[in-house]
Amino acid sequence: MTDLELMEKLKNLFGDKIVEISNPALRRVFMTIAPGNVAPVFAGLSKDLHYTYVATISGLDAGDSYEILYHLADLNGNLNVRTRIPKADPHLVSICPSLPGAILYERELQDMFGVVIDNIPDSRPLVVPDDWPAGNFPLRKDWKYERPAEIIPGGKK
Amino acid sequence: MKFTIPIGPQHPALKEPISLRMTVEGEVIKDADIRLGYNHRGLEKLAEEKTWIQNIYLTERICGICSHSHSTCYVQGVEKLMEIAPPKRGNYIRYLVSELERVHSHLLWLGVAGHEAGFDSFFMYTWRDREVVMDLLEMISGNRVHYAMNTLGGVRRDLDELQIKKILDGLAVLRTRTEFYFKIGASEPTFVGRLAGVGYLSREKALALCAVGPTARASSISADVRKDDPHAVYDEVPFDVCTADTCDVLGRTVVRIKELLESYKICEFLLKNLPTGDIAVKAPRRAKPNEVVSRYEAPRGENMHYIKSNGSDKPERLKVRAPTLANYPATVEMLKSGFIADIPLIFAAIDPCICCAERTVELVNGRTGEEKIVRFSELRKLADERFKNRPVKRNAVWPF
Repeated sequence: MTDLELMEKLKNLFGDKIVEISNPALRRVFMTIAPGNVAPVFAGLSKDLHYTYVATISGLDAGDSYEILYHLADLNGNLNVRTRIPKADPHLVSICPSLPGAILYERELQDMFGVVIDNIPDSRPLVVPDDWPAGNFPLRKDWKYERPAEIIPGGKK
Repeated sequence: MKFTIPIGPQHPALKEPISLRMTVEGEVIKDADIRLGYNHRGLEKLAEEKTWIQNIYLTERICGICSHSHSTCYVQGVEKLMEIAPPKRGNYIRYLVSELERVHSHLLWLGVAGHEAGFDSFFMYTWRDREVVMDLLEMISGNRVHYAMNTLGGVRRDLDELQIKKILDGLAVLRTRTEFYFKIGASEPTFVGRLAGVGYLSREKALALCAVGPTARASSISADVRKDDPHAVYDEVPFDVCTADTCDVLGRTVVRIKELLESYKICEFLLKNLPTGDIAVKAPRRAKPNEVVSRYEAPRGENMHYIKSNGSDKPERLKVRAPTLANYPATVEMLKSGFIADIPLIFAAIDPCICCAERTVELVNGRTGEEKIVRFSELRKLADERFKNRPVKRNAVWPF
């Protein structure tokens, strides 16, 4: 299947759910959808287009919204599904019912951006430590790391 | 009765910190849980503060074994953003180093697998032969671990005739050795018996859990980024994707040995058809606002970098997905219904030291919690009975 055929299939399948679709390079298709359509679109991608492999989910702090980019791949190339969620209310629905392998990346997204994934099968932190202070999301652009002052037991005050 | 055994994050046998929590019933693993983050270095955040050039050396330090994979994945993405293409000779040398790196990584893995299976002569053989390719890499790049070959627009070092001859000689030696390793399975039944049936991962599960690399290919999924997304030189080079259908550690060993033979073929093709010309072009300092998804087949599976530029000399976002992370859900699946003694094999580098023997043996019934002190002869009888009905037992045949 070429990129054009894939885009045609996607347009037929999802119709006006697709906000934008482009093909900037060979075997790379980028598709934008509304956050409300995430669950039906991924159900369709796995059921009708037989996608099983989600390579990763990238988050991006884009000013007043978070850009979430799902990278899927199959033998024909790479499909990237983009959605934007407002920073004020960062809620997203889990795609694990359709693609169970996405769980690690959804957990990573929660740890790194503070995006809340509703109905996630396992919401424990994945990459941040157990004693990580709440409300610290390192990959947000306004987050800065400050090294705590070193205290040497018995040292000079 | 179920017990939970923690392995890690700090354990004498773990090379890197990871925490495995095994729920066992008797010595059969019922459930496994993995906790990451003990080695999280915040590299994606750091990359946003470094320039395009500095990030080559940062991405190279993501991994110590497949260092060239990450820097190549990054560099081939950034070159697309900057709209430059490396000269053909530079490209050939870059992917020659990639394949040599795959050779050293697979030989290393074979040694570790042999060691964990209790076949230490195999470990010593493969690691001795690995020195051949390590010396070649040192001769090409000047380094054994971080080759620092990549730069934006090409590679940093050229090859001369003598070096090409030396690499071809080294590859000839490695090929004979690898063919010998391929035969070892047939002549060494204990090795095959130890690996067969361990860490079973069915094709359906491997697909559903998004396994990558040799792990997926051993479950008869013919996915290889070099074939599916033939970037750079891979559309010119003849090679086959290696798969196995046994879905166990034996299959993963077979896949890796076959891939070694394919890598020698690719290296020889690249060297014999090495074009003349420059090895690098000059790269601009800034990249226009754009985004790129870069894929690369590392020794362990697919590497994916998502790079977004904002017009400055620094990336807006660099997302790195390393293959090992993708294989964790599959590893949990493999561990289930295996034995405690199979954890090191399945997890390759992990060697849990659980049985610290005492003089008297107290048996705790795993189901009822009943405790009983037994004599050695009784224990022997129980053990014989126990191993008559092993839950995972499959035929041990080397698949030629």
